[in-house]
Amino acid sequence: MNSSFWTVVGFTVKNKFRGKAFLITTLIIALIISIGINLPYIISQFTSGDDEAKSIGYIAHQQQDTDEGAFGEARIASMLSSYYEAQETPDLKLVPIADTGSAEGNEEALKQAIEAEAVKGYIQFTPGTVLPFPDVVYKSEKLMDTNVTRSLETALQAVKTEAVLQNSGISQEQRTLLLSEVNVSTVQITTSEGAGSVGQGKSASEQAMDMGLVYVILILLFMAIMITGQLIASEITAEKSSRVMEILITSVSPLKSMFGKIFGMFLVGLTQVLVYVGIIVLNMALPHNAEPLSDLNIRLADINPVLLVYALVFYLAGYFLFATLFAAVGSIVSRTEDLGQAVLPITMISLAGFYICMFGGLSNPDSMLMKVASLIPLFSPYAMTVRLGLSDPAMWEVWTSIILLLIAIYVAGWISARIYRAGVLMYGKRPSLKELRKAMKAYKV
Amino acid sequence: MNPLKVEQIFKQYGDKTAVNGISFEVAEGEIYGLLGANGAGKTTTMRMVLGLIYPDSGQIHYHGKPYSVKQLQGLGYLPEERGLYPKVKVSEQIIYLAQLRGMSKKDADRNLKRWLDRFGVPEYYNQKVEELSKGNQQKIQFIASVIHSPKIVIMDEAFSGLDPVNVELLKGTVKELRDSGTSILFSTHRMEHVEELCRNITILHRSNPVLQGSLRAIKQQFPRERVMLGTANEVTGLESVEGVLNVKRHENGYEILINQESASRPILELAMQQTNIHRFEVMEPTLNEIFIKTVGERHE
Repeated sequence: MNSSFWTVVGFTVKNKFRGKAFLITTLIIALIISIGINLPYIISQFTSGDDEAKSIGYIAHQQQDTDEGAFGEARIASMLSSYYEAQETPDLKLVPIADTGSAEGNEEALKQAIEAEAVKGYIQFTPGTVLPFPDVVYKSEKLMDTNVTRSLETALQAVKTEAVLQNSGISQEQRTLLLSEVNVSTVQITTSEGAGSVGQGKSASEQAMDMGLVYVILILLFMAIMITGQLIASEITAEKSSRVMEILITSVSPLKSMFGKIFGMFLVGLTQVLVYVGIIVLNMALPHNAEPLSDLNIRLADINPVLLVYALVFYLAGYFLFATLFAAVGSIVSRTEDLGQAVLPITMISLAGFYICMFGGLSNPDSMLMKVASLIPLFSPYAMTVRLGLSDPAMWEVWTSIILLLIAIYVAGWISARIYRAGVLMYGKRPSLKELRKAMKAYKV
Repeated sequence: MNPLKVEQIFKQYGDKTAVNGISFEVAEGEIYGLLGANGAGKTTTMRMVLGLIYPDSGQIHYHGKPYSVKQLQGLGYLPEERGLYPKVKVSEQIIYLAQLRGMSKKDADRNLKRWLDRFGVPEYYNQKVEELSKGNQQKIQFIASVIHSPKIVIMDEAFSGLDPVNVELLKGTVKELRDSGTSILFSTHRMEHVEELCRNITILHRSNPVLQGSLRAIKQQFPRERVMLGTANEVTGLESVEGVLNVKRHENGYEILINQESASRPILELAMQQTNIHRFEVMEPTLNEIFIKTVGERHE
């Protein structure tokens, strides 16, 4: 490490921070993050005005038909009505419509009620086909009004239970016992004293929090690696196509200029990630967000520090591994237009790692796929972070993964530096592997 | 001891020989010309001198010492194609490049301002390179190669793409560098620049040095085969003089090709019999002719 390395680092950082594109992307992503975190609050603001109970019409029959017994239409209707009335904030309200005597007349009256906007829809009872309990049809102008039907189902279920219990003659205590919910809670434990975040066991809300956190870390990790990696590659290609490279490598050794650039870009990327994390924390700490977020089981205090430390380690390792590869590819290509195609293999590998974790890992972090992926250097930054966050990998697995990553970084750095040394002076069409090998020999690097 | 000494360097790319045993020395305060057709091995030779690639065999000494990072920092390089960051301010990138060559920021800044004043463009200090015209970018490129006051400067096609005024300006600056003791290795396709600037040259052809030595000695090796004749009236019968190969009529006289220098005398005598003579000169061969002759002949 001497002065020219830091000169390269300084120049890289300064130029990036000054670029408008960098500022704008950072701002846009920061804005999206802010909106995302405030979304539960925003939604709650909009839905709170919608609390008024919907009116549902039904035909109030004049006479009690005693033959129908416990499940008589009029009785069920009145029980249903009182079920909703008993609720603190009922979502439905039953509105009786006078019986006209004939089925057609009733139907007509109910339709008129909808037209007059007295009710949103209406229910009709028909004798039960399977059970003695009547079948219920809900009619409205809306398509798939699932909120209402779900509410009606719950309500009718309760009404049915109530009606049966009233006739059974069991005591009040027995009733309470029967109706109370069984309590099942989940705690994730560890049997192996592994490196993961399970520790003394995790409650359901902590598990949910970790799941969310791992999700966020995965996305940040992927973004940081891909965005900064692409930037490195395109910077190098730009230097090559503007021929500054010829002057640069007569002034500073290729190794220093390559790693100077990677390290400079790392500082830029790290700053960006820190800005995003800062914005996440800041937004979550805003007082108005506390309630909607904790309703979703998102609490800052539940964040596991162990997970964060490991995430940082794997971010660093993953970044440097991918960055050296991107640098090597950037040095081979002569024109910026060709870069997209050239970096495609690296992008695909990174995407594969990301998707394995997103779709295979989050729900099943201990699958064989994840265990293998968490040891393969190009996938392990994603996979091991997921396993550390959601399950409990053994200490030796984590350290093997880290050591393999370090070895991979060293090897990739060594190869990339050589490709870079030879590649930066090769112009024209993208060289084949054979040409590249020949050039690497020629430059005796 | 000469600042730059190249001894028998070879370079092979696969089974193709790029440079086949070149030796030359550049003295202090000398501009050395490296000539050759495209692909003759000029750029490879320069890259080896710059330490970008290493020769397979042979040696390069800088002030008597072999290649080292320290030595390389004392080199200046003006590449054939413009190499600057288009979107970065002139001051920032020149100072960056100077720092990479081991200068302090303050010294670099001072030198840059001096050079910009020298070229009469101090306002470029805060401009981006992409805002400048091609000729002015070339000035900036030139500054980048000499800002750290190198003792050895390598210039690949220094004046390509410049208008005559700027060519004169840069040529004057190159001469000043030479007079202040800088050793310059200079490659170009423009023979008149070489005739004006270089003391010694090497002509490369297909990786081989085919002609080497001082410009004067080289010219003496080639016979004087061209006579310029300017007369008051028309001269007839020039074609029938012995030894005349070809006669071209120009606006103010004749250009006569002869097979040996001794054939010039009968031409003068013939012309004197017929009319008054304004001009009679047996021309020494131009470098252009020598180049085409040397390189062209071997094409077959």
